[in-house]
Amino acid sequence: MTLSASERARYQRHLSLAEIGAAGQEKLKSARVLIVGAGGLGSPAALYLAAAGCGTLGLVDFDRVEVSNLQRQVLFDTGALGQPKAEAGRARLAALNPEIRVVAHALELRAANVRAVLADYDLAIDGSDRLSTRYLVNDACVLLGRPLISAAIHRFEGQLMTYVPGRGPCYRCLFPQAADGVVANCAEAGVLGVLPGVLGTLQATEAIKLITGVGTPLAGRLLTYDALELRFQEFRVERRRDCAVCGDAPTITAPCDPQAPPRAPQDGVRRLTPRALHALLVPPGGAAPPLVDVRERWEYDTGHLRNAVNIPLGELPQRIAEIPRVSAPVFICRSGGRSMHACTLALAAGVASPANLEGGMLAWAADVDPAMPVA
Amino acid sequence: MSCTVRIASPLHSYTAGASRLEGRGGTLAEVLGDLERRFPGIRFRMIDEQDRIRPHMRLFVNSQQARDLTAPVHGGDTVHVICALSGG
Repeated sequence: MTLSASERARYQRHLSLAEIGAAGQEKLKSARVLIVGAGGLGSPAALYLAAAGCGTLGLVDFDRVEVSNLQRQVLFDTGALGQPKAEAGRARLAALNPEIRVVAHALELRAANVRAVLADYDLAIDGSDRLSTRYLVNDACVLLGRPLISAAIHRFEGQLMTYVPGRGPCYRCLFPQAADGVVANCAEAGVLGVLPGVLGTLQATEAIKLITGVGTPLAGRLLTYDALELRFQEFRVERRRDCAVCGDAPTITAPCDPQAPPRAPQDGVRRLTPRALHALLVPPGGAAPPLVDVRERWEYDTGHLRNAVNIPLGELPQRIAEIPRVSAPVFICRSGGRSMHACTLALAAGVASPANLEGGMLAWAADVDPAMPVA
Repeated sequence: MSCTVRIASPLHSYTAGASRLEGRGGTLAEVLGDLERRFPGIRFRMIDEQDRIRPHMRLFVNSQQARDLTAPVHGGDTVHVICALSGG
């Protein structure tokens, strides 16, 4: 795929690099990169890959631009508020570089569509904000033989690893299994706005290296970044022969959607739907159970159930004595993951019959009280 | 035997915000036991009831991944506690 005169002018600084040159730029022009998640990571990755002349960029995101995104998602400006991210991102990238093709995928990746979406691309960049999507994309990349550049962020910390088929471990080799809710995401934990700028730019760097064949990819190595100490560290990660998807005897042979929330991890944990909890709380003055909100203080302060006490999950082991042992308390968090963990801790500490609010405050707002603000 | 322990940020609520601690012990099991005495509950976030490293947590001694808690820790080593992050 040869370069036009306007492209040669636009990419002149790349052409001047002997390691890239016209041949490398032509590879970039032919390349098709799928960016999963047009968020904090996807924004800089998409902007730099578009500017670099990556010929086809796909943007997967089914959210709309919210004002709280703008602190870090530099793909969008204030005028894009309320617009679908995939579409707003496509318009921004097309304005940045009309020489490339940008495809908006305003959809949620699921087992049913991930193969079809990924099939049109040569490699993927994962900047999603859900662990379930991370595993779905990883598994699809392994099964389709596509490289995957995966990054994730939390507060002031980031991680990056590149999967190259046949050359090293996949994301599941590093973390065989994880569940959403156990690990807080950006909305729950907060994130330094510039942090995904660092990691997303590194993802774009890896993509350009893989496409042009220069340098050494971050395969078999986990890179971590601590913004507070400005410290990068690298860890060796080996392919697991027992990996469920890339191992010697894989048990995952097709992308699969996350399973329904597991049953209570131990006998004795009750599960309450928002409506069931609501029924317990009215009429006022009844024998309502104690409510323990295990979110962080700022999340609690944004909006919480009446009479709920706040004991952040991290403080629960030290403060477990504050919960009466025969009280059958209800644990609450944003989406039900941290509160289930709290139930397990409470059981282990001898608290009788703890209950988990299924789906957390998000479900409460959806099913019982739409006016409830949830951070 | 004294080592440095670097704690992933999702666990900082156990350590009063500290990301770097001093630990004592000749194996990972001993170092985590030492941490648990000072920061109750932190071990359970990393290790399950069968003493296995939880699948969303990884422990490294210096840059080498530890497969189980018998991994030796020498004076001056750094134990890294790494957690799967979900933010994007």
